[in-house]
Amino acid sequence: MPEMITIENINKKFGDTEVLKDLNGKVEKGQVICVIGPSGGGKSTFLRCLNMLEQPTSGKIVFEDSELTSLNESQINQLREKMGMVFQSFNLFSNMTVVENVKLAPVKVKKMTDAAAQELALKLLDQVGLAEKADNYPASLSGGQQQRVAIARALAMNPDVMLFDEPTSALDPEMVGEVLKVMQDLANQGMTMVVVTHEMGFAKNVADEVWFMDGGVFAEKGTPDQIFEHPQNERTQDFLAKILEA
Amino acid sequence: MLAFTVSVAMLGVFAQPTQAATDDSLARVQEKGTLVMGTSPDYPPYEFLVNRGGKERVVGMDVDIAKKIAKDLGVKLVIKQMDFDSLLVALETNKVDMVISGMSPTAARKKSVDFSNVYYKGGQSIIINKADKGLYKDRTSFQNKAMGAQTGSIQFNLGKKQIKGSNMKGLAKISDLILALKSHKVEGVIMETPSAQAYVDNDPDLAMINGKFSLGSGENDTAIGFKKGSTSLVNEVNKSVDQINKQKLTKTYLKHAGTYMKTNTKNTSMWHYTSYFVKGVEYTLLITVIGVIFGILLGVLFALMRLSKIKLIHFLGVAYIEFVRGTPLMIQVMFVYFGIGLFINIPALIAGIIAVSLNSAAYVAEIIRGGINSVAKGQTEAARSLGLSQQQTFVSVIFPQALKNIWPALGNEFVSLIKESSIVSIIGVTDLIYQLKAVQTATYKGVIPIVVAMVIYFVMTFSLSKVLNHYERKMKHDA
Repeated sequence: MPEMITIENINKKFGDTEVLKDLNGKVEKGQVICVIGPSGGGKSTFLRCLNMLEQPTSGKIVFEDSELTSLNESQINQLREKMGMVFQSFNLFSNMTVVENVKLAPVKVKKMTDAAAQELALKLLDQVGLAEKADNYPASLSGGQQQRVAIARALAMNPDVMLFDEPTSALDPEMVGEVLKVMQDLANQGMTMVVVTHEMGFAKNVADEVWFMDGGVFAEKGTPDQIFEHPQNERTQDFLAKILEA
Repeated sequence: MLAFTVSVAMLGVFAQPTQAATDDSLARVQEKGTLVMGTSPDYPPYEFLVNRGGKERVVGMDVDIAKKIAKDLGVKLVIKQMDFDSLLVALETNKVDMVISGMSPTAARKKSVDFSNVYYKGGQSIIINKADKGLYKDRTSFQNKAMGAQTGSIQFNLGKKQIKGSNMKGLAKISDLILALKSHKVEGVIMETPSAQAYVDNDPDLAMINGKFSLGSGENDTAIGFKKGSTSLVNEVNKSVDQINKQKLTKTYLKHAGTYMKTNTKNTSMWHYTSYFVKGVEYTLLITVIGVIFGILLGVLFALMRLSKIKLIHFLGVAYIEFVRGTPLMIQVMFVYFGIGLFINIPALIAGIIAVSLNSAAYVAEIIRGGINSVAKGQTEAARSLGLSQQQTFVSVIFPQALKNIWPALGNEFVSLIKESSIVSIIGVTDLIYQLKAVQTATYKGVIPIVVAMVIYFVMTFSLSKVLNHYERKMKHDA
């Protein structure tokens, strides 16, 4: 399978604090990677480096033949179109209705006509089960609904890869399922995905590969079966033991 | 007084290059075909406003004199109203060709102004409350008492020098001084005899006494002021002044002024002066609305400059905001009108609008900066991760949300702009405050016009608040 993202020796420092240490990895087309691990381990920072929301201190990220760290502002903007991102806190634009949220980037960035964007947006909202909420403002939606709109918004740019940054962590437990369902459907359709998550069930069922991250390094990588059933690394074992206790 | 000193000091800085020019004063007036007279029309019978069929006009002895001069020169007379304080600055900055405003050619003034021959000798009197008539007989009765006179006037200096232990209070407008007298803030107001006579004739609560001041050269006289070095114009005008003196025309002019004063006091109800207040409201609203529009446009610009990562642009933004917020609007208004006016001749209204806009921009910039900073960082990240550029993110996502957050603060700024724009009255813009003073002068009534103006201001600010609240509710999208 062709490689979509190649990560080479990524380091990231905030001041004197080393958050990411010499990370390496490959994401292949159609793969679902779940990044798990304890809080503060650098998972989110790693994910945000992938679309340059954070600039790595050193190292290379190659996305579809482009070396991201060497690009200028407008080139990065162009590549970001192909990398959808979903945030823990949804980040829907509060000044726009649901459908306007989804339409914004296709109209502004892809210069799609308003009519075409409207049609696309309604189709995507229907796909995440929220077509009837099109004209509501985000503040009137539940967390789970907002996150599904955020996914539709990212899909509207027809991205090659979707990045999820703990998409269910801010949700009430009863809403987690509806969001995971949408993500699972996406995976089934063959979308390449990198998911930072605490949902071990989702990682087990959907991921092609699980990367366990702790202390700024990938302590262990493997198939869900290898990581969850036969963890080799002591830190992985500790982490999973704590998770299962809870 | 401070205002006057500052504007003169400003001239010291700017006026130098224009001094060297040769005397083309007469030629210039003839060429443009107009003679612009500067005057402070709150000094009956010299100059004051009358309300004729809803229109206000400057009339009085000085206006008749100016008309004669203009006629003799074969040009059209244009009258520019402004505070007495601002008249000499207006001369220096070519806003006016001459000043006829009951002005005495004192030695101090002669240093910076050329004067015509004397056209009137007034004498100095003191106005008192009629009830106090037994208490005071001349200036010596006022030892250690509070006295009033027009700021920057010769009467102010007379009182200061010739009344022992006097406590002089200066106000720009005679009408305000009369109010101060009636409310016993001062015990007497020093003014020229004809003016004092006019007030006493029209207000039964006032009386006048001879001040018995010892008057030095020029202090009893009234003459026409010109920009220093306008010899050719002065000589030509002196021909008219000599005729006026020979034919004793001032007597006729004073009688003429007297008839105007009677028509003025015939109807002193505020309804009669509705047109004054309407005009004032028009100008106040015009200045505020344009000030708000440019205040926002420039405010956004300065806020973005201040938020810029480029050091020089950031510095310029900070410098502008801090400087404008650190200086009074009054000085900014004078600076734009007189200071910048030295290089480009801008009308008072435009100067007022520019000053108010530039001032508002600084405050709006800080409000907008606060608003931009208040938008959650995740909004920017979400927009950027969709491929929107920094600019697109700002226009579509950040600014609309910032605007919603700062709407109440922005509304406060607009409301206070309605009130603060009143400062433009000092350069003669006929806003509500200016018209208030005009009505006070015309009716010899002090308090009622203040009440009327106060109510009008309140109605304007209150309605604006209501309108803004309506839009604030409209912008709320939180369930």
